[in-house]
Amino acid sequence: MRIDLEHRPALDLDTAEGVNEANIHVRLEGSVDWERVRALAPRVERFDIHFPKFADGRGFSIAARLREDIKFQGEVSASGHLIPDQARMLTRVGFDSVAPNSNPEDPAWKKGLTTFSEVYQPSNDRRSTALEKRTLAAKQALVDSLNKRLRGAPADEILREATRLFKGRIATLSSFGAEAGVSLHLVSQVAPDTPVLFLDTERHFDKTLKYRDQLSEHLGLTNIVNILPDADEAAEDDSDNRLWQRDTDACCDLRKVRPLDRALKGYDALITGRKRFHSATRMSLPPFELLDGVIRVNPLIDWDRDQVLSYFEEHDIPEHPMKAEGYPSIGCWPCTQPVAEGEDIRAGRWAGSEKTECGIHFSAKSKVA
Amino acid sequence: MYQYDEIDETLVRERVAEFRDQVKRRITGELSEDAFKPLRLQNGVYLQLHAYMLRVAIPYGTLSADQMQALGEIARDYDRGYGHFTTRQNIQYNWPRLVDIPDILDKLAGVGMHAIQTSGNCVRNTTTDPYAGAAADEVADPRPWCELIRQWSTFHPEFSFLPRKFKIAVVASKADRAAIQVHDIGLRLKTNAAGALGFEVFAGGGQGRTPRLAVKLNDYVIAEDLLAYITAILRVYNLAGRRDNKYKARIKILVEETGPEAFTAEVEAEFAKLQGGDLTLPAEEIARVSNFFTPPPVETRGFDLKAQSQAFQIWAERSVKAHKTEGWASVLISLKPVGKVPGDATAEQIFAMAEIARQYGLNELRVTKEQNIVLPHIPQADLPAVYEALRAANLHADNGGLVTDIISCPGLDYCNLANARSIPIAQAISNRLSETGLDREAGELTLNISGCINACGHHHIANIGLLGVDKRGEEFYQLTLGGAANENAAIGRIVGPGLSGEQVPQAIEDVVRTFIAHRQDGESFNTTLARIGLDPFKEAVYAH
Amino acid sequence: MLAITANRLDDGRVVYRTPLGAWSAHLSEAELFETAAAAEDVLKLALSEEGVVVDPYTMDVEAGVPGGKKRIRETIRNTGPSASTVLELNA
Repeated sequence: MRIDLEHRPALDLDTAEGVNEANIHVRLEGSVDWERVRALAPRVERFDIHFPKFADGRGFSIAARLREDIKFQGEVSASGHLIPDQARMLTRVGFDSVAPNSNPEDPAWKKGLTTFSEVYQPSNDRRSTALEKRTLAAKQALVDSLNKRLRGAPADEILREATRLFKGRIATLSSFGAEAGVSLHLVSQVAPDTPVLFLDTERHFDKTLKYRDQLSEHLGLTNIVNILPDADEAAEDDSDNRLWQRDTDACCDLRKVRPLDRALKGYDALITGRKRFHSATRMSLPPFELLDGVIRVNPLIDWDRDQVLSYFEEHDIPEHPMKAEGYPSIGCWPCTQPVAEGEDIRAGRWAGSEKTECGIHFSAKSKVA
Repeated sequence: MYQYDEIDETLVRERVAEFRDQVKRRITGELSEDAFKPLRLQNGVYLQLHAYMLRVAIPYGTLSADQMQALGEIARDYDRGYGHFTTRQNIQYNWPRLVDIPDILDKLAGVGMHAIQTSGNCVRNTTTDPYAGAAADEVADPRPWCELIRQWSTFHPEFSFLPRKFKIAVVASKADRAAIQVHDIGLRLKTNAAGALGFEVFAGGGQGRTPRLAVKLNDYVIAEDLLAYITAILRVYNLAGRRDNKYKARIKILVEETGPEAFTAEVEAEFAKLQGGDLTLPAEEIARVSNFFTPPPVETRGFDLKAQSQAFQIWAERSVKAHKTEGWASVLISLKPVGKVPGDATAEQIFAMAEIARQYGLNELRVTKEQNIVLPHIPQADLPAVYEALRAANLHADNGGLVTDIISCPGLDYCNLANARSIPIAQAISNRLSETGLDREAGELTLNISGCINACGHHHIANIGLLGVDKRGEEFYQLTLGGAANENAAIGRIVGPGLSGEQVPQAIEDVVRTFIAHRQDGESFNTTLARIGLDPFKEAVYAH
Repeated sequence: MLAITANRLDDGRVVYRTPLGAWSAHLSEAELFETAAAAEDVLKLALSEEGVVVDPYTMDVEAGVPGGKKRIRETIRNTGPSASTVLELNA
């Protein structure tokens, strides 16, 4: 939160309603008429909430409502009689700046922002709460103990333990690509009712979609969940269906990362088919990992190419038709090429660019950093 | 009981550091009194008649033996050797030096305690049944929910500058041992038809100048929505509560002026927006916090009450309470020995209680709103040993629940707000009723005294209430009858003109005698009063 | 008569302003004024001593002891709680 030395002018609500301009600055004070504020909000660049006395804490709830209820994205500033002790509260409820009546240069204002390194309540500053940290720590402890116990264990044992432990709150993620048959077969043996999440990017090869239907029927999987991109987001970000040409990352984000984030809300754990031999970036993977609060279960992590091939043979699993055409890893059609003998299995994905992963196996936080 | 983790501890330590800095700036003159006062008032530090007063939070009245020990050490090292347990299940020190308070807070932090939000217009310490986790009639232990409320309310960014202070009480049984109906929010834990925990939610109760019983907002809010629901209440109150008049700023006035139906509708509309959001309590978190509060295992050692001394049996009748687990009992320690100071305990007595809890009571103690102490978990087989240990510390008063178990605020002997003294009046009444034997004859009966209209002594909700008033420089006492703090909560009615301090003991004797003369078998005071009306009492009191 | 009283900043104890401008724990050492007007200038001075005392004000004194409407309150401030403390009673 910025501490302003001077107070910037703003219109009162009556005046603001009378002018026809956009990007106006409006001052709110005392009891607020929310219907009028809601109507005005689209034209407002900044709401300034005035505190007549520091002890009058209405402004904190006014800011909270602007952010949570009106979903106001512009600047929210505080002005009036405020004390440095309130700095942390202002920033937490959603203020961007404050112009206190007296002593804006008091170092206590800056200091007040960092008084507490932990918070209990979820609020509009999106700071990670005690509850979130504790939940994460508990999940990490579980992941650590599972890795200790099951590192190197057979795939079906890992899968059995995971589906038992997270019963009703575990799903499997499948691309229905070249190797998908292995983990799906294992799932069908251990818990065939496990939801199978398929990220339907609307850019898949037709052969993949057909394979999806054929394989799931063959294996007797009863719970295939087709996950589409959000229609509004797609219309917004990719109206010409050419996003993949301009920005592959943005395309993956729209069609894979965000849909999966939404779909995962209902699950504690997610089974993947990832294997260490796939690429250099996956060499250190353990069977269990924690990613943005969801536990990833990688039962096939130790498998090599030969094991995969012989598993297909042994269990008579239908193969993806494109495998024979030289595609060992199959994604969306714009970004998948065949791979030459001796190359990394995933070398044909985003070939010619530095991109190696679509992002669904990365932490949201690591992408920001 | 709940154990602090690193997060809780960090916050408390950071608060101490912040307050230490504030005190330093005040002493060096960097902060004026006007600037400092609101800061110290956010941390339980008042300036009273003789000295500063420090109020320490005892979350939902639950203490470990080590915490109790630390409270005694503070009384010994920084005060004058005693402390005062309050009607809000906290403790107050009457004599700390301002310059020592940061060190006291450091010491408290060492045992996971603090003075956070024990004053100021914020959400105060949540109170509950002192027998929580031990009472046979509870649906579930209410304390996990109190702890979740404690964390939610601590340093709440939106609700630290409310129109006025805000008090929440929680019970988990039909019997109300936390006076939820006279709280800003009262919560009763219950189960629905499917057996899922939830809360009956009341709001708008309170004492003070305009005593009001709370109205029911919702008959059942599912437990996971608890924080969303109370956030909705607080947000409506913070936005609409009156700020023009300190005496009309509590939520009870807003509920009354808005009307219970309209107020409820506003809360429900706000709740609809918050429900299902970030405030929803995950099952794992509820389980994590609940796991801190587990009842003791069955005790197999036997106990024969009949084989005990008569003194023990008399004490036990008033002091030993049934426990939900076989072989266990709860013990009430009355801090109201006849003629003494209600709610006060010396450092030595505090040490003794800590030691008894350590030795016999699973390290746990409770503070009650009646200003007594409870040992919630005592094996029945150890009751005689506990009794002897209490006797050795002069803590064996056997008047729990009797009329001499008087609730009293510190009054004009200590308090800057008081209009009249409370403690000497309590002492005189206690002596009179004990000497005459009327206390035992009357049986269960409540008598509370407040030294001013702020009603810290809960006089409105006593069968017999006394309110100290100032009439042209003299102390007078207004007598009310018929109040109750339990599930049949009621506000007492004024009997007649104020009485001088000298007249009070006789007047109380008259009231008690009238009750005894008129009651029909087993009747409570309020039942008798409802049947015969105020007049017989009025006549008895004002006949002199 | 009037005296000026306050609570000391560092420990909160009751003090009275002496003729030399110091603060004493004893009412007997307080400077006495005939009227509020006479006390006004000294009270202003006292009010400016924020680093020493908190909230000074004038109180009535009659025959060397607290008097007037606030007699009971000021007597208790002067001599301590009128009720015996738990130390004397419960020990």
